[in-house]
Amino acid sequence: MHQPTLREPRERVSTKARLMWQVSNLVEGVVTVAVLAVAAGMWDAVDLTWWMVALGLLAVVAYAAVVPQWRYLVHRWEVTDTAVYTQTGWWARERRIAPMSRIQTVDYAETPVARLFGLATVTVTTASAAGALQIAGLARHRAQQLVDELTLKADAVEGDAT
Amino acid sequence: MSHPAPPAAPDDWQRLDPRMLLVHPVREVVRFLPPLIGLFLAGAASGGQPWQFLGIVVPVVLGLFRYLTTSFRVAAGRVELKRGLLSRHVLSTPLDRVRTVDLTASPIHRVLGLTTLRIGTGTGASGEDDDLDLDGLPVARAQQLRSDLLRTAHAEDPATTPDGVPPAPERPVVELDLAWLRYAPLTTSGLVVTAGILGLGGQVLSNVPLWDEIDPTSWHIGLPGWTAVALGLVVLAVLVVAVSVLGYLVTNWGFALTRARGSWHLRRGLVTTRETSLDEERVAGVTVGEPLGLRLAGGGRLTAIVTGLGSASGSSTLVPPAPLAVVQRAGAAVLGTDAPVRAELTRHGPAASRRRYTRAVGTAVVLAAAVAAVPLALGAPWWSVLPVLVLPLLALPLAADRARGLGHALADGHVVARSGTLARRRDHLEVDHVIGWNLRATWFQRRLGLTSLVATTAGGPQSVTVIDVPEPLAVALAAETLPHVVRQFLA
Repeated sequence: MHQPTLREPRERVSTKARLMWQVSNLVEGVVTVAVLAVAAGMWDAVDLTWWMVALGLLAVVAYAAVVPQWRYLVHRWEVTDTAVYTQTGWWARERRIAPMSRIQTVDYAETPVARLFGLATVTVTTASAAGALQIAGLARHRAQQLVDELTLKADAVEGDAT
Repeated sequence: MSHPAPPAAPDDWQRLDPRMLLVHPVREVVRFLPPLIGLFLAGAASGGQPWQFLGIVVPVVLGLFRYLTTSFRVAAGRVELKRGLLSRHVLSTPLDRVRTVDLTASPIHRVLGLTTLRIGTGTGASGEDDDLDLDGLPVARAQQLRSDLLRTAHAEDPATTPDGVPPAPERPVVELDLAWLRYAPLTTSGLVVTAGILGLGGQVLSNVPLWDEIDPTSWHIGLPGWTAVALGLVVLAVLVVAVSVLGYLVTNWGFALTRARGSWHLRRGLVTTRETSLDEERVAGVTVGEPLGLRLAGGGRLTAIVTGLGSASGSSTLVPPAPLAVVQRAGAAVLGTDAPVRAELTRHGPAASRRRYTRAVGTAVVLAAAVAAVPLALGAPWWSVLPVLVLPLLALPLAADRARGLGHALADGHVVARSGTLARRRDHLEVDHVIGWNLRATWFQRRLGLTSLVATTAGGPQSVTVIDVPEPLAVALAAETLPHVVRQFLA
């Protein structure tokens, strides 16, 4: 018998999302390393040697360059007439499928950082606490289109979504 | 939802039972006990004027006001509860949102022939003010109200309400058998309760000043040290058994699970009796729990997976620790089919088994290393830390059992999943209640071609997880349960 496999969702998020993740990861990484270095200097916990600094910088570069790229390759989504399908994560990949008939709310959000990049997040919730589908890093107009589309489609199906 | 009925007349509001006038003051006095004692001591010190008796009057008056200001009604498709003297609360919920109805009677209620009716609607809010409690109704009236509430919740389903004819009470599906008491010490609850009692007792004793005057070296119980320790352990074991058996009896006395008019009714309790009613349509499935101790003795317990009810509410127990055969029979009765309970499970294969070993032994090795590191760093000789090697060895049978336990099936419209060893569980979830699938795989899992499959269901944290399934099996299961949804995403 042919073994069934799930294909990836069709649509990618905005390329600007990768830039956003790179910038925020870089800031996060640099701040963390700086705090650690200052703390180490203040309490004389360890003697800072060149290889420790190099290791720290390498970790930051990996965190700021590799992880966002990986995440960008994984993050995908798709909306059909009957279902929403998302794929998120990088190390742990999570695919979520929710029937259109079970959608309870469609949430549109712009975090302060996302606004700088003109991005938005769309969250689709079902009645289950374990079942929210989040599509982060959509271009603003695309996200708004998606919200309208989802609202229309979810309205078209009957039932109380539980 | 529209309300064609006109606003109900004010006289629709009903009070609780006047006998609550006896219950409330007693409760308020108990609640105000510390300040009352203080008041009396102060009164006695200031020469015994009668004003300290005001302290008794206040709780009594409060109880009276509570009675006078609380009223409820069932009208226009809603249950409404009005209460409060200074701040008014009006709680209101549509009847078709009623998931569970609980009748609880404390000893004082039982003496007076009263019971408390609690309506569970499965809101996220869990504050005391948000509960729909009708505290103090005569038992017969509460039972009538309960069947009204549950029947209205089922108004669309005429099969469950034969008009006019009250159906005969059905025979219980399961009833308590005193032989089940043998399972009581095998659960952890007895251990927890005993530990609590010992802890509390220890604290009380250590506050007694007399303690300091006892000189342990002057004890002469005429026993060598090891015998005393062994004796202590035996006494402790007997205590644990006694407490757990007693606890089991107090909680489960008179236990009976009955099905009537589209709901499941669970009755139990020795001192405080409790009757829980679950709307049958909200029961999405059942879980057979087999903690290690129970499993070794051939026992298990049954809980319901109820949609729209947080797991914290605790009213989802269906059968307390009992023989596995009884639990399975009850589970089959609740599901309406015994195929899911009996179904042979599809195993998850060698990769999933290997992963059980890697994870169990890996964790144990890390733990052992951490335990050994401290003495080694302090200069202990290497052979003195050898006993930690026991940890990875202990992990082996655990991993083997976990690997044996893993499995899933799709039987007669139910997703079945089993996992765990110390807390083995077998979930049975009706396919109609699956409202989505999550497939989660870390990089390690993807390398082995495994994924963890989660069936989400309405209502809080409840979900059924199938651990480490080979991906083709996972996709097949998801596609079979939600064909119109999943098929379009197949490669």
